[in-house]
Amino acid sequence: MFNDIIQYILGLGAAIFLPVIMIILGLCVKMKIKKAIISGITLGIAFTGMNVVLGFMFNSISPAAQALVQRTGLQLTAIDVGWAPISAIAWAWPFALFMFPVQIIINLIMLALKFTDCLNVDLWNVWGKILTATLVAYITGSVVLGFVAGGIQVILELISGDLVQKRCYEATNIPGVTCTHPMFLQGPYLALINKILDFVPGINKVNVDAAELKKRIGIFGENSIMGFIVGGLIAFLGGYAIKDILITAMSVATAMVLFPMVAKLFMQALAPIADAAGTFMKSKFKGRDFYIGLDWPFLAGCSEVWVIAIVLVPIELILAFGLSQMGLNKLIPLASIINIVVTPPAMIIARKNLLRMFIMCIIATPSYLVVATQFAPQITQMAADTHTLQTQTGQLISWMQIEAPEFRWSIVHALNGDISGIAGIAVFAILFVWYFIYMKKSNAQLSKKE
Amino acid sequence: MKRIFVACGSGVATSQTVASKVQSMCEDENLDVSVEAVDFKSLENIIDQCDIYISIVSEKDNNWNVPTIKGIPFLTGIGMEEEFEKLKELIKK
Repeated sequence: MFNDIIQYILGLGAAIFLPVIMIILGLCVKMKIKKAIISGITLGIAFTGMNVVLGFMFNSISPAAQALVQRTGLQLTAIDVGWAPISAIAWAWPFALFMFPVQIIINLIMLALKFTDCLNVDLWNVWGKILTATLVAYITGSVVLGFVAGGIQVILELISGDLVQKRCYEATNIPGVTCTHPMFLQGPYLALINKILDFVPGINKVNVDAAELKKRIGIFGENSIMGFIVGGLIAFLGGYAIKDILITAMSVATAMVLFPMVAKLFMQALAPIADAAGTFMKSKFKGRDFYIGLDWPFLAGCSEVWVIAIVLVPIELILAFGLSQMGLNKLIPLASIINIVVTPPAMIIARKNLLRMFIMCIIATPSYLVVATQFAPQITQMAADTHTLQTQTGQLISWMQIEAPEFRWSIVHALNGDISGIAGIAVFAILFVWYFIYMKKSNAQLSKKE
Repeated sequence: MKRIFVACGSGVATSQTVASKVQSMCEDENLDVSVEAVDFKSLENIIDQCDIYISIVSEKDNNWNVPTIKGIPFLTGIGMEEEFEKLKELIKK
């Protein structure tokens, strides 16, 4: 009986049951009834709105993508929908909101035991942990293992936040903060590439003015422009007539501009809860010195992040086509083609050396394509199961910018008991220990300079 | 009514956090403002439309002709009251 009720509620879809949970939670953290109801309804609108925009995008891009597959023979069957719809899938996991207390409690314990100096108040990116947990839960069938993976990610993000704090300050001059975003869990791999580049002569001699370069090519960083170009390119490769190329290009540009607008509704709905939780955490540690862990945009003032993300675009497309010939990639990079998930950690590791950043990002790009391809069937199925998104049959969706792809792929498969996953997580662990020592040394040198 | 912009990488997460916080703080003081989260990349084209800009990047990376206050304190809670006082003065101008 109880099970039937739960099944009935979940069957209503995320757009109905999550607002209900949201309103109850809001009242628990003492929101006014009116505000709690508005938050709840806003959350429902966010899910419904995402469905509308995604449906609209598929109507225009799906036939073009299929035409491309038929005409070129390239097996590109998955569409990169960007982070916004993927976050909707993550939030729609029935256990999603329980990740808030998991992150908060682990953080408070680690601070109390002095295992970290970082207080992560970025409660938006809790969804990054939820995504890992949903993937684990989906593949292993165990919700508990999902939370284990989420918990491990929380711990690693905090340690990573400690390690990059000095360099974040060096890059931005903003004191007392660090970046706890999961994108930095790619740090160990990027640092290894950086270390190898130390042996390449002349690499530090190249000097490029990133700010000047950004002024010239910055227009390509606009969602609208990039959506238009890539949408048009797919239609062109699909053999469309000029009129249809333009219509497809404009539709994709529209979707790419609307995605973040809809995603903003998630944030508006979740902000009061996140704010209450953040205030609670801060109040627990008055008097103890710590850094505040933030989402990455405080690094976005650095032009390097944008310049490299833009010049990387043609290389991503070439790699996507090349790797598909080898059967490793099925993804058409689209909504997250401006990969601002790989460039911030690359900038911090390379300390703004543009040439190093560029090489590191090129070497790292295949990871994103391959892992996004690997997870495409699960993500598509999860979207259908939670009624978050109605995707057309046979059309796979995924997300190229899947943060920390090596870590995510490894932990999902390790917890599923796959040998490859266990090997992957062992490599990650060894590299992380090396990275820890590497960064500690570098931080000590930075402290001396101060 | 004063128009306030907060920008971040996507105009969604960080900027909306600060925007919601500032909006509710202003509502508590009965200040008539509209706080909007915008995309960092389109800032150049729309900065003229706002009266006050709240920046979450370092000061040296800002060169807009709009009164600017720091946004990081609204995320960390450290020095938030001071920045809010500055903001109130700008709003009342």
